[in-house]
Amino acid sequence: MYGSGLLKGLSITIKHFFEKKITQQYPEERPALPKRFRGSFELIPSKCIVCSLCSNACPNNIISIQSKKDENNKKKLTGYQMMMGSCLYCGFCVEVCPTGALYITQKYENAVFFRQNLNVSLFKDEPEQMLQAVRSEAE
Amino acid sequence: MIRTEEMKLNFGPHHPSTHGVYRAVFTLEGEYITHCVNHLGYLHRGIEKLAESKTYNQFIPYNGRLDYVSGMMNEAAYVQAVEELMGISDQIPERAQYIRVIMSELQRIASHLVFYASMALDMAGSTPWFYGFRDRDRILDLFEMAAGNRMMPNYMRIGGVAADLNEEFLPTLRKLLDDMPKCIEEYNGILTGNEIFQARTIGVAPLSGEKALNYGMSGPSARASGIDYDLRRDEPYGIYDRFKFNVPVTQNGDTFDRYLVRLLEIEESVRILEQAYRDLSEGPVMAKVPKVIKPPAGEIFYRIEHSKGHFGFHIVSDGSNKPYRLRIYSPCFVNVAPFEEMAVGLHMQDAIATFASLDIILGEIDR
Amino acid sequence: MDIFIVWVEIFRHWLTVATGIPILAEIIVKAALTLGVIIFVLLNLIVLVWLERKLSAFFQMRRGPNRLGPAGFFQFPVDIVKMLGKEDIVPANADRPVFLIASICAFLTAIMAWAVIPLGRGLILEDLSIGIFYFIAIGSTGTIAFIMAGFSSNNKYALLGGMRAAAQMISYEIPMVFSLLGVIMITGSLTLSKIVEGQKSIWFIIPQILAFLCYFISSIAETNRGPFDMTEGEQELVGGYFLEYSGIRYALFMVAEYTHLVAVSAIAALVFLGGWNAPFGLTFIPGFIWMMLKIYFMIFLFMWVRWTFPRIRIDHLMHFGWKVLIPVSLINIVLTGIGIFVFRAITG
Repeated sequence: MYGSGLLKGLSITIKHFFEKKITQQYPEERPALPKRFRGSFELIPSKCIVCSLCSNACPNNIISIQSKKDENNKKKLTGYQMMMGSCLYCGFCVEVCPTGALYITQKYENAVFFRQNLNVSLFKDEPEQMLQAVRSEAE
Repeated sequence: MIRTEEMKLNFGPHHPSTHGVYRAVFTLEGEYITHCVNHLGYLHRGIEKLAESKTYNQFIPYNGRLDYVSGMMNEAAYVQAVEELMGISDQIPERAQYIRVIMSELQRIASHLVFYASMALDMAGSTPWFYGFRDRDRILDLFEMAAGNRMMPNYMRIGGVAADLNEEFLPTLRKLLDDMPKCIEEYNGILTGNEIFQARTIGVAPLSGEKALNYGMSGPSARASGIDYDLRRDEPYGIYDRFKFNVPVTQNGDTFDRYLVRLLEIEESVRILEQAYRDLSEGPVMAKVPKVIKPPAGEIFYRIEHSKGHFGFHIVSDGSNKPYRLRIYSPCFVNVAPFEEMAVGLHMQDAIATFASLDIILGEIDR
Repeated sequence: MDIFIVWVEIFRHWLTVATGIPILAEIIVKAALTLGVIIFVLLNLIVLVWLERKLSAFFQMRRGPNRLGPAGFFQFPVDIVKMLGKEDIVPANADRPVFLIASICAFLTAIMAWAVIPLGRGLILEDLSIGIFYFIAIGSTGTIAFIMAGFSSNNKYALLGGMRAAAQMISYEIPMVFSLLGVIMITGSLTLSKIVEGQKSIWFIIPQILAFLCYFISSIAETNRGPFDMTEGEQELVGGYFLEYSGIRYALFMVAEYTHLVAVSAIAALVFLGGWNAPFGLTFIPGFIWMMLKIYFMIFLFMWVRWTFPRIRIDHLMHFGWKVLIPVSLINIVLTGIGIFVFRAITG
């Protein structure tokens, strides 16, 4: 019968009218994100061996690593910056990390107010640098 | 002195129903289109050129940015093309192959649901839109679970997939597959059977099979015109020869058929998923591939049956770790071409429904 | 709600005594009542916008606004504040005077229809003897405002929207009138209060179900709501005739649309659903409440239809109007005539 399709549509919508609503009320209800979700990156500096694999794996070269050689001629991490504005969140950097120093977290609220705040510093050897500054000033 | 003239109307690039930044210039006689010109290129990001400066692995995440509603399939096409170029396509582990099929078919359903939803929305049916996106979201949740991201999954790797499925993936998939028939019934109930929808789509903008072939159309848009050709069945790639499924074909080639073919394809994808779910075996998910991918010098053109049509990569390798040239064969680019011809004589409202029925993603057209 | 009428009478009497000029008192009372009706309509509007958002959300399995006030009820007042803060943009090459008065015209014509709509026994501004006729006449002048807006905006989309409005509203005026004719034949009066009194025993929806369907469909088209919202046509005309409007002028168009919706629902409730007559002898609930319930039932129907169906094409709409609705409503008139004849023959 002509019009039966219209009535069927009406019956479907009225069924959903009384159904439980599926909206997630965001600021109060937080999504339970799976472990693999790539939200943001964090670094355990003590584990980092400054192999630069992460910065080489990155498609956009957003990772910059600063290091210095310590007394045993081993590289030591002094700074680790990521330009998150260019990040694809592909996770290649985490995938190649041999020691698990760089890892992903499920923090997804990454919005910032200013563009320069997107350049995130995951690690900075502050006292060392301050010491250097003091030394250079003394010299 | 009263005179009449035809009206030129800029449709897009910022218009609610251009599916992105497509632009057409309509010449209108009243509200009927007498002439239409396609304008593309508003979303050009130079991805083909970008590929030349990335290593083979580094290009994988960019695939999600091509056709951004079927990222998994783009990645599958790309990695299979590189594997073919390296000659390791027979070493891919069984489980990885199955996972690729599962992901591809889930992505096909998700992409067709976006089509269903956006076509409904282009006809002002915002409620079907929500029903379509409700179920697409469950598929995206599955991707998030397995791959880490929803739309740009970066899950496929040259030689397999990035990681094995986690344990909650398969039960969630099972639940989705069980719910799918009921959902499809609902889509049909609210939109396909609707007399207003039928009046607006049946017999509108028919495209003959011959014309579709001449334009080089492929995928569901061509199958709606009676071109019975599906790469999954006729030139099986991967392990698609192991699955039993039908290729839905309709004969009229009008807007309704283009819509119907996609809804039927969702059902077939569910069938494939059921079989893949049944046959999925344990095992490794990654073949032994070198850390630095250096395919031998040579070139390859490899295409798959994408949710929009034949999606192909033409890769030229000079033996280094970066492609010398990478060309993307985009089904959307081909499928949007006949719109110029189809739009002539249509009412403006129908032109929008027809445009929606072609299922265009601008990210892939402009690359 | 007889207490209202008693108050008004006391007020009128006091004014007559105080001023000593009966005409002045009459004018003041009428002005106060008019203001009251406008306030009533605007209050309805707040509920309606909230209701539309909530209902559309519920049909789509969402929650709708729920931040501001109880269940998001204060969203619309805040929206109005936002609208007031917007810049009032007039496009560069627009026909400025026409552009500026179009929105006011739309609002005025919508609110004028309320002069003859009773909300209860005696709760009416002016019980005209040609009540329904007045309502229809005023309703069709609303089209002019839409054409003015579409034409003066100097925008192709707006122009198309205005043209569509003209075609659609004129062709749907006719079946709407015809569908009301059956009821007028039965009661023999154009006065709305008389029509309601005539439904004491039986609501006219039962003998006039065809007319009710015709009226329902054509009033959707008349109020430019989905699936007949061609003039707005968000997907093809972006915003239709009020595309170029911003700020409070845009809000006036929305107010006009919703006011028209309430008016059309009120007429449906009065003519077909028995107005303030209580069903099943539930007379302990006042007639005013029954009237509001019936109006909101009609509004729910309108919204349910709107949020379920896709938009119809304009030429299908014209075909449907001229080839289906008008013949059906004419048949209804013939059937009603035969029915009245048979009824009179039986009862003598």
